Amino acid sequence: MDFSYTKQEEQFRLELRDWLENNLPEGWMDGSFKMPEDQQEQGQFLRDWQKKLSEGKWAAIAWPERHGGRNATLMEEIIYHQEMVRVKAPPLVNYVGLHMVGPTLMQIGSKEQQEKYISKIITGEEVWCQGYSEPNAGSDLAAVQTTAVKDGDKWIINGQKVWTSFAHFADRCFLVARTSKGEKKHHGITCFLLDMNQPGVEVRPIIQMDGEHDFNEVYLNDAVAYESEIIGAVDDGWRVTIALLMHERTGIGAQVFSLEQQFNELVELARNVTEDNVPIIEKTDVRKRLLNLYIKSRGSLLNYYRNLTKQLKVGHPGVEGSMDKLFVSENTKELFAEAISIQGHQGLLWKKDAIYGDSYWQKNYLYSFGQTIGGGTSEIQKNTIAERILGLPKDIGK
Amino acid sequence: MDFSLSQEQEMFREYIKKFLVDMERTKIARDYVDNKTEHVKNVISDLKELGWTKLNIPEEYEGMGLGQLDLVPIMEEFGRVLLPGLYLETNALAVPLLERFGTNKQKQLLLKSIADSDVNFTVAWLEPGGSYKEQGIQLTGEIIQDQIRLNGVKTQVPDVELAQHVLVPLRINNEITLISVDLQTPGLLVTPQKNFVETRKLFTIHFDNVTVPIENVIGQIGDGWGILQECLLYYNAALSSVAVGAMEQIVEMATEYAKIREQFGNPIGRFQAIKHRLADMKLDLETARSLSYYANWTLETSAEDRTEAICSARIFATEAFIRLASHNIQIHGGIGFTEEIDCHLFVKQARYYENYLGNIEQYYDLAIEALNWTNQKPAQAVQEQAIMAHK
Repeated sequence: MDFSYTKQEEQFRLELRDWLENNLPEGWMDGSFKMPEDQQEQGQFLRDWQKKLSEGKWAAIAWPERHGGRNATLMEEIIYHQEMVRVKAPPLVNYVGLHMVGPTLMQIGSKEQQEKYISKIITGEEVWCQGYSEPNAGSDLAAVQTTAVKDGDKWIINGQKVWTSFAHFADRCFLVARTSKGEKKHHGITCFLLDMNQPGVEVRPIIQMDGEHDFNEVYLNDAVAYESEIIGAVDDGWRVTIALLMHERTGIGAQVFSLEQQFNELVELARNVTEDNVPIIEKTDVRKRLLNLYIKSRGSLLNYYRNLTKQLKVGHPGVEGSMDKLFVSENTKELFAEAISIQGHQGLLWKKDAIYGDSYWQKNYLYSFGQTIGGGTSEIQKNTIAERILGLPKDIGK
Repeated sequence: MDFSLSQEQEMFREYIKKFLVDMERTKIARDYVDNKTEHVKNVISDLKELGWTKLNIPEEYEGMGLGQLDLVPIMEEFGRVLLPGLYLETNALAVPLLERFGTNKQKQLLLKSIADSDVNFTVAWLEPGGSYKEQGIQLTGEIIQDQIRLNGVKTQVPDVELAQHVLVPLRINNEITLISVDLQTPGLLVTPQKNFVETRKLFTIHFDNVTVPIENVIGQIGDGWGILQECLLYYNAALSSVAVGAMEQIVEMATEYAKIREQFGNPIGRFQAIKHRLADMKLDLETARSLSYYANWTLETSAEDRTEAICSARIFATEAFIRLASHNIQIHGGIGFTEEIDCHLFVKQARYYENYLGNIEQYYDLAIEALNWTNQKPAQAVQEQAIMAHK
């Protein structure tokens, strides 16, 4: 058992820290920086940030050097997440491109596709979104109903996608569509590299319960894709669909590190918020709730490190990732719920009237409901744990 | 980064496991329940032949000089079969106490005999109506030349029939002191006490003018509380591993049953009501394991966060043990409610450890103090003072 980092790993950490200190926007670290309110400006800010990262070779560290990456080890990726969480770095607007589409193109894409798309992904010049979920295909992805019909050298696409993150900024979409009715529902699926800038694609915002707009509905009305925009073979897209999802090496690492940080922030909150001039951390009940969260956040981190150890030994992520996802998302939800609860009735106050941190806690509390749904619901994770780890029989209907 | 047990540690597990499988696993516990005490003593003695008790004893006292982490897989295997006996009290409490605070003579005599022969320690701490807090210790010791005369009553002392010595916290001049008492000492009145945890037998011990040599005091007179709290960290880290082993067995049992038991034409494990509960149980098990590995690691490396890490493991593992053992009965349905199946033994054992050698509430308080969420003096400082005073 050894939790230390090698000299080389520590060197990597220092190099990144140094770069972040010199390159994060003015006022970012002390919290005086304000993200632009206007959506267009926000999009531009995020693209500029990614461009800056790519210039420093910090946008896609796991990519091979010839594509602008650093060929980073798994441990370097872990350190990368730790450091990005530490400074609460701005999000990667092209997350889907960097972590999913890019690696899939390198693995399965044609030479032409690789040349056309990869370099623009890393610079943020072309932002990608992921066209998977549909109103009737959420956890059951193979039930996609969006159709693509061949018409000469074109494919005509009709249907609706939903929960598409960053679609309002996206230039291209990694789209899953049905091209034929197979014997089984995961047959007859094809993956397209769709151009978002065309009349047949309409993006409508989804406003979440926290008032924010991260997701969209994407309507496809006779949208056009060309033969050259098919990745993998026609009707054989299920394999490609899964390959895209398999490129996440570090699993929910970033959320695990965030949970640890959010827990420390919660303790600070409990020290600073007072009731009748007494800090609420003085209450026995509050301290006990904090300790339960402490145990769970430590448990999330240590579980993650144990699974990481296994991954370092066997070379690929294991199905245990489903336990990490379940635990960290449920614990995050619980943490923010407690954060609201311990503030008492004043915990309801919102935005500038919130008693602490411009409703940081309230916003995160409302947002946290999405965490046990997105990326596979907790129920799906439990099925995976039961079936693939414990070996219980498949669910009825599978 | 390597958060796993080493190959050597895992290898030792296999020896222990094989022995326990040959002994038909929980049959040893059931024999103990059936009062086949001599037979159980023999099994424990044969198990000792494998050399596991030497692991964390220094080489100069016939041990192997290994650390707390080396005990982890062994404690897990013991937990798995609900092994009766005083392995926790002896190897995870008496050994660190003697090694760290014992006199040379005590080490020569007692550590060597733990390593080599069938010597076990039990703990007589709780008093009728009392607590595991300082004020709960009222048994008195009066110094008479080179002897101490003990008066008072200790209750719920486990497995006295399997022990040769008993660790007794008491008050000398109103200061808490720890003493080791030979169970052959004349005048000890030992009477059995019934309890529903049949795998641990309890006794009351009356000390009525019992005299014990003053050289049996462990540490200094008046240091008893600090050294006991310090060494309970070792005990609790090991206890969390015992709970993990038991939980692993529970998850296996419940999973196997869910695969074979059919209702409505399907194995019940196909239904999400069962499946999701099992997934929750598996997650609890693995979380307890991570916390317990880390807790034991902090002792081996004297990590700064050891108090909160060990309390976390102790709290989570014992609470999860109760939760999982209870779910196990529910998943088994009617058969799980019977005496015939092991399910009930696990529930009872889980309850034994909830409040043993410290109420669970006390561990919440201890962790909260160590994390410095209070204005009170951290408990760790009290322990450190005691250790410093001893040096």
